[in-house]
Amino acid sequence: MLEIKNLHARIAEDGTEIIRGLNLTVRDGEVAAIMGPNGSGKSTLSYILAGREDYEVTEGDILYNGESILELDPSERAAKGIFLAFQYPIEIPGVATMQFLKVAMNEQRKARGEDELTTPDFMRRVKEAAAELQISPEMLRRPLNVGFSGGEKKRSEILQMALLEPRLCVLDETDSGLDIDALKIVADGVNALRSPDRSVVVITHYQRLLDYIVPDTVHVLYKGQIIKSGDKTLAHDLEANGYADIIEAAA
Amino acid sequence: MNIQAGFKPTAAEAALVEAYDKQLGDLPGDGATLAARDALLSDLKTAGLPTRRIEAWHYTDLKSLLRAVPAYRDEMTASRVDPIVPGSTVLSVTNGKANLRSLQDGISVRSYADALLDGSAAERLSERDRDDAIGQINGSFVRDGLSIEFADGLEVETPIEIQSVQNCGQVSTRFPVRFGAGAKATVIERHLAVGDEAALVTSVSDVRLDDGAEITWIIFQSQGEADTHLAQFKASLGANANLRLYVINGGGKLVRQEIHVAVAGEGSNLTLRGINLLGGESHTDVTFTVGHNVPHTTSSEVIRNVVFDRAKGVFQGQIRVAPDAQKTDAKMSCNTLLLSDDADFSAKPELEIFADDVQCGHGATVIDINHTQLFYLMARGIPENKARAMLVNAFVAEIVEELEDEALVESLEGVITDWLDRHA
Amino acid sequence: MPAVQETIDQVRQIDVDQYKYGFETTVEMEKAPKGLSEDIIRFISAKKNEPDWMLEWRLGAYRRWLTLEEPAWARVNYPKIDFNDLYYYAAPKNQSGPMSIDDVDPEIIKTYEKLGIPLREQEILAGVQKSKVAVDAVFDSVSVVTTFKEELKKAGVIFMSISEAIREHPDLVKKYLGTVVPTTDNFYATLNSAVFTDGSFVFVPKGVRCPMELSTYFRINERDTGQFERTLIIAEEGAYVSYLEGCTAPQRDENQLHAAVVELVALDDAEIKYSTVQNWYPGDKDGKGGIYNFVTKRGDCRGKNSKISWTQVETGSAITWKYPSCILRGDNSRGEFYSIAVSNGHQQVDSGTKMIHLGKNTSSRIISKGIAAGVSQNTYRGQVSTHRKAENARNFTQCDSLLIGDRCGAHTVPYIEAKNSTSHFEHEATTSKISEDQLFYCLQRGIPEEAAIALIVNGFVKEVIQELPMEFAVEAQKLISISLEGSVG
Repeated sequence: MLEIKNLHARIAEDGTEIIRGLNLTVRDGEVAAIMGPNGSGKSTLSYILAGREDYEVTEGDILYNGESILELDPSERAAKGIFLAFQYPIEIPGVATMQFLKVAMNEQRKARGEDELTTPDFMRRVKEAAAELQISPEMLRRPLNVGFSGGEKKRSEILQMALLEPRLCVLDETDSGLDIDALKIVADGVNALRSPDRSVVVITHYQRLLDYIVPDTVHVLYKGQIIKSGDKTLAHDLEANGYADIIEAAA
Repeated sequence: MNIQAGFKPTAAEAALVEAYDKQLGDLPGDGATLAARDALLSDLKTAGLPTRRIEAWHYTDLKSLLRAVPAYRDEMTASRVDPIVPGSTVLSVTNGKANLRSLQDGISVRSYADALLDGSAAERLSERDRDDAIGQINGSFVRDGLSIEFADGLEVETPIEIQSVQNCGQVSTRFPVRFGAGAKATVIERHLAVGDEAALVTSVSDVRLDDGAEITWIIFQSQGEADTHLAQFKASLGANANLRLYVINGGGKLVRQEIHVAVAGEGSNLTLRGINLLGGESHTDVTFTVGHNVPHTTSSEVIRNVVFDRAKGVFQGQIRVAPDAQKTDAKMSCNTLLLSDDADFSAKPELEIFADDVQCGHGATVIDINHTQLFYLMARGIPENKARAMLVNAFVAEIVEELEDEALVESLEGVITDWLDRHA
Repeated sequence: MPAVQETIDQVRQIDVDQYKYGFETTVEMEKAPKGLSEDIIRFISAKKNEPDWMLEWRLGAYRRWLTLEEPAWARVNYPKIDFNDLYYYAAPKNQSGPMSIDDVDPEIIKTYEKLGIPLREQEILAGVQKSKVAVDAVFDSVSVVTTFKEELKKAGVIFMSISEAIREHPDLVKKYLGTVVPTTDNFYATLNSAVFTDGSFVFVPKGVRCPMELSTYFRINERDTGQFERTLIIAEEGAYVSYLEGCTAPQRDENQLHAAVVELVALDDAEIKYSTVQNWYPGDKDGKGGIYNFVTKRGDCRGKNSKISWTQVETGSAITWKYPSCILRGDNSRGEFYSIAVSNGHQQVDSGTKMIHLGKNTSSRIISKGIAAGVSQNTYRGQVSTHRKAENARNFTQCDSLLIGDRCGAHTVPYIEAKNSTSHFEHEATTSKISEDQLFYCLQRGIPEEAAIALIVNGFVKEVIQELPMEFAVEAQKLISISLEGSVG
């Protein structure tokens, strides 16, 4: 599904290098967790996967289903099935949530050569997915993410994920700012989407989320590199012992 | 020609003076009306058209921008068009002449030409100050318009569209409108051109809200690409009156829309929302003043500008709080999206505060499309050009949505989307 | 906040309507005859032993000035100035330029001591001040002494009066004088170009970081005298200098004119920090007397990555008309303007800045805090503009006004002019009075009203105070509190 090879990347504006030779492979159907201390480059990695212009890849490659995606803009990547659930979903006043969902779904379908959804079909899909995530119709009437609480924003991200049916989901610190009930709803939403042909990259600082979204593999990111990989027990070790030991061992 | 000795009048100044001499015979009214016209023209002649040295005209040097004045013509052919909001009551003024019709009980509609003829219009046929070029030109040349009165307590559900349409020449109209105490209504003041020939349009709306009136007034201007549109909206608010004023500019070559509101009764409120959709070679200036003259009044102003092509936009906004007008709460913001390197926008938001117990503020931004928002939309699979268009639309749609009335919101969003589809 | 206790102490000591710098010095003066003419200009030029080109420059400006009209756009009102009823040159007798400290009239040295400005280097070194500050002391029309000249010279820094510089470094002066504020610029700048009598000259060569703070202290003493100083500061490639000016004048019934021009030039990677603590006599409680402060200050960020930062604390003058500006010509250059303008009594302030973005990736920042009390009028007027080719220009402006009492006025007039789609401007302004909640909180904790206001105002202006060199920050805080004396009740 995803193969990152010797990736180097920096902030376009000031040239600060953030990712320094990162290698990572995520197989079809795999749930991979990426953990790391603050400032290790976790969010940067998610932005680079989605194609944010603020970062420049200087070396290496990102292969998605065997093809390099570095030359694709964010919307082309999205149409190919890459979905980023933002740590801080963006508020866009003046854009109605429903209008946004419809345009996004139909533009992706168009890019893939599929027919646009009919309005009743669209409505039905949104209603069903929203109900699963306990998102009220009232919330859907508001402008995109405007006035949403932290939990509502995260649920809105998962709703979009469910509707857009991506192949590769990147969840950036999806647990931040969520209480335990909201966390469960979000995790259930993600788990419902797990399937053999869909992969998930869960980026998180804490092990907590991984109790609910149980990963197949766990990777530790430090100073822009994966310094250790393992199975889900690695996350528990980190929780118990912190990052220091691993960082030391890798040094 | 007696424009100030030693100063050579511009072609437009000379044309205005000449037009006055020529039309004098058939401009309605004599006696007091004529005296008022003469006085206005004389002031215009003395000072000439304002230049950028006049602070109120700092960004619109009318003397150099007004190059020519199209001749007045008798035989104009424009006719009324469908209203913006389907089902509205239309009061049309075609080619500067009012078409009278009687409306429901409680609304009286008279031809303004009658008021000019009988002299009753003379008193208010005055300039705001010596720099009031619009008042001077309009007052000199005004031929018709509508005098409308809404009875006390009258609540009108259906929007009333005052539609002024022309295809060329000169049109000068006035609209004195009085809303009785507690009246409620929605009025759409619409100025548009049909055809491509140049016109000079001047218009003055002179509005009074008596105590407790609650009025939504929408100005929608879509003149042609060659037209000059010089308009003034003046209003005075009584106690607890509430005026919600929308000003949408989407046309014209040289446009100056002035808005002067006296928030003059305790508890009164002004809400101003402006949308300037500027493209082509348009020079559009919205100049606004609000006077908070008594304690306990509020106003809020939000202006959104979208500037394409080689257009130039101006917003001057002044919040003035008089001495003793304590507890005034006034907030103004002016946000601009510059979408072309040849476009420009100048903003001068002013606070002039003479009372201390107030909360006043203004903000102004000039920005590009928000890159984070753009990235978010693109990350959801929306191609860049479409995502940009969505964000431009959202930038102005946001303030239209405040209107709540669904039919109104839908109609206005429709005209905005149309405009953007044509220009983006 | 260490200054607060001192502020309160100051407030206690001083009666309402006190200007503590209002004394007069008695020294024998030499003056040019009253009035303005080519002869007067020749007189001034001769007094200064100026080269011919300088005289011609002055005369050119004078002829131009005769064709100009006084500007009227500012929100200030004053009776017409009779420019022929002023003395344009007044200097202590036997002193037409700076001399050794031992030769200076002791009365003048005493004057500066009284103002808190030590002029003897050994005293400064022995004094309480922790860091060294070099001073150029200008008394009416003439610079009387410049300290630490030798030490600065060793570092390559030229710091002297402009009159000396015209004689000793004519090439440098010729190269830069009038290149930022041309002689044709505006009514007062043109007048200044014709009649300027002294001021400071600073030249920091390539790569040099000026080893100490430089400052000029302006004192108007003589009656019916206008002060027209001219300051020129040049920072060559990679140089840095921090400069401060202070000013006071005796308490007099008549209005006196002060029309200065300050020009700054920053070449590639250079930085100039210019701070002003302006405390000219503001007039009495009935609005009688006080200085008309009509000043043109402009910095030219001529080189790439250059930076010019203006910080001003304006508490004095009957009328202030000044807009320290930055021309952001070099790519990546940056301009800053931090201002506190306090007006009380009958003072009128119309002040602000201009940020003219010409180069690519230029940025500017404006923080203005206006405080109006008494029956004063306090206007912020500022322009931010981008040239069509100035890609990625950035501006942030925050402009806050505080009203104390219901008979004063606070006004904000920004001019925001964007001509490039990549411009990003943000402007915010607020006007309010001192929060009742904050005041009540202080009173409830036992702080008297006047002290509470001083405390709150100090908080209001803190962002700007922080930009001042340390030595002056405390002084400025005190000054603000004193200026607001008598504003309560």
